[in-house]
Amino acid sequence: MSETIRDSHARRYRILGDALAVAVYLFLLAPILVTIPMAFGSTNALSFPPTSYSLDLFRIFFSSPSWLEPLFQSIEVALGATMVVMLTGVPAGYWIARHEFVGKALITGIIMSPIVIPTVVTGLGLYLYFSYLRINSTTLSLVLGHVAYTLPYVILMIMAGVHKLDRNLEFGAELMGAGLIRMFLTVVVPQLVPSLVSAALFAFLLSFDEVIISWFLTGSNTVTLPVRMFSALEWEVSPVIAAVSTFLTAVSLVVCIVAIRLKKWTPVDA
Amino acid sequence: MSPAVLIAVAIVLPPLLRIIYTSVHGPALSLTSYAEVVKSNLFRETLRTTFIIAGSASVLSLLLGFIVALHLARQPAQRRTALMVLVLLPFWTSILVKCFAFTIILGRDGIINSLLSWIFDTRIQLPLVLNRIGTLVGMTNYLIPLIVLPVLASLLAIDSTIYRAASIMGAKPARIFWTVTVPMSLPGVFAGLLSIFVMSLGTFIIPALLGGRRDQMLSNLVDFYNRQVLDWAKASSISIVLFGIAAAFIIPLILWRRRKA
Repeated sequence: MSETIRDSHARRYRILGDALAVAVYLFLLAPILVTIPMAFGSTNALSFPPTSYSLDLFRIFFSSPSWLEPLFQSIEVALGATMVVMLTGVPAGYWIARHEFVGKALITGIIMSPIVIPTVVTGLGLYLYFSYLRINSTTLSLVLGHVAYTLPYVILMIMAGVHKLDRNLEFGAELMGAGLIRMFLTVVVPQLVPSLVSAALFAFLLSFDEVIISWFLTGSNTVTLPVRMFSALEWEVSPVIAAVSTFLTAVSLVVCIVAIRLKKWTPVDA
Repeated sequence: MSPAVLIAVAIVLPPLLRIIYTSVHGPALSLTSYAEVVKSNLFRETLRTTFIIAGSASVLSLLLGFIVALHLARQPAQRRTALMVLVLLPFWTSILVKCFAFTIILGRDGIINSLLSWIFDTRIQLPLVLNRIGTLVGMTNYLIPLIVLPVLASLLAIDSTIYRAASIMGAKPARIFWTVTVPMSLPGVFAGLLSIFVMSLGTFIIPALLGGRRDQMLSNLVDFYNRQVLDWAKASSISIVLFGIAAAFIIPLILWRRRKA
């Protein structure tokens, strides 16, 4: 008797918990569920659900220079930033993971600081520094700004990858007479390929989606897609933004899927 | 390879030094801009708003995130992996996409108001956006995925035999929840709460797009002094104060984690 009572209790709790969880999942997905149908709606109304479906909004997005130029600017900045961040972050991450040196805690603390410093602070600092160097409003300043922003994440991912490698292989190569750079390129890098690819993808996506630092660093000729979208949202909410949103979501989705495929999925600490 | 470390420092450090330099370098080298900032009503009001919004959004996100984490923890591993996508997808969605969507959902003629108008058969135009409600909805949506991951990790770390023991001893589900699940997940919950709180202290986009005049946070004030007032000494001082507040909360967390490891 008491057994069945307890069971019905447990069931009632489980159903309540499931219902609440479904509500939260829906809340989390609401932005995507709303913007995607709207992107295929008509050009003159911001209504949900759309009354008619077409590709007009995407046509406007991909044919008006005021959206296309920021798109190409974002791609250019993200590619540049990914290249620079990989060239510095990979060797730096390896060095920090494998070596002890004077002031290591302080130096890694400085490099990691953009993760915890409010992004506006990083943005203002970069703006002031680049004004001093007189390179503000250039693509170069955006690339360097995004490098500073993505570097800690890349270094962390590389360090995690290096910690999984067998150090004896590196010692072996050095014993056989390989120089440091040769050992790094022929022994470490080939084993690190999965970490390298996912770090590069992550850096690209972070840079491509980044708003705040770009907001501080762009000039009228170097507006990135997120900055264009941010200022559009500040002044008028036009239906084209639904198409831009869907495009951004699709980019994150593709990068995310590739990264997951590559990593073969690690459940919690992903 | 050590040059790479130096290059990394050379990219990250100078902007920080420059901001400190600007904050003390007005007409002369002094702390006047800090003094003026701290005395101004605008700053004090904004500081209070920042703490209120960050605090309430973090607690709200913890409650909703806990529901999701609990649900995920109960699923068999394979199902959990599939359901995790529902949390990771919003995690990867651009903050701008979320803000746009919520202006559509919460607007005067938005989805919620249209739905209510249809149900009650009168024109309803509740002000749900460009105010505190809009800000909190946006912040919560942004923060939930960030709190689910640490809470889920601490829930999964609880030994399942403890649950079995509790239920053999006759504890009802509610009692098990309050005496086993909650206390044992507390360290993860606390760490997660602190880190989303620090993250929300620095939010900029959400109050700018979903908030009203009275929901502007310290980050927005920095932007205001930088872009409208063109007073870089004040913008820098506010930045340093914001950084200091974030550090005051995050450093104990880092030290605590290191001691545990």
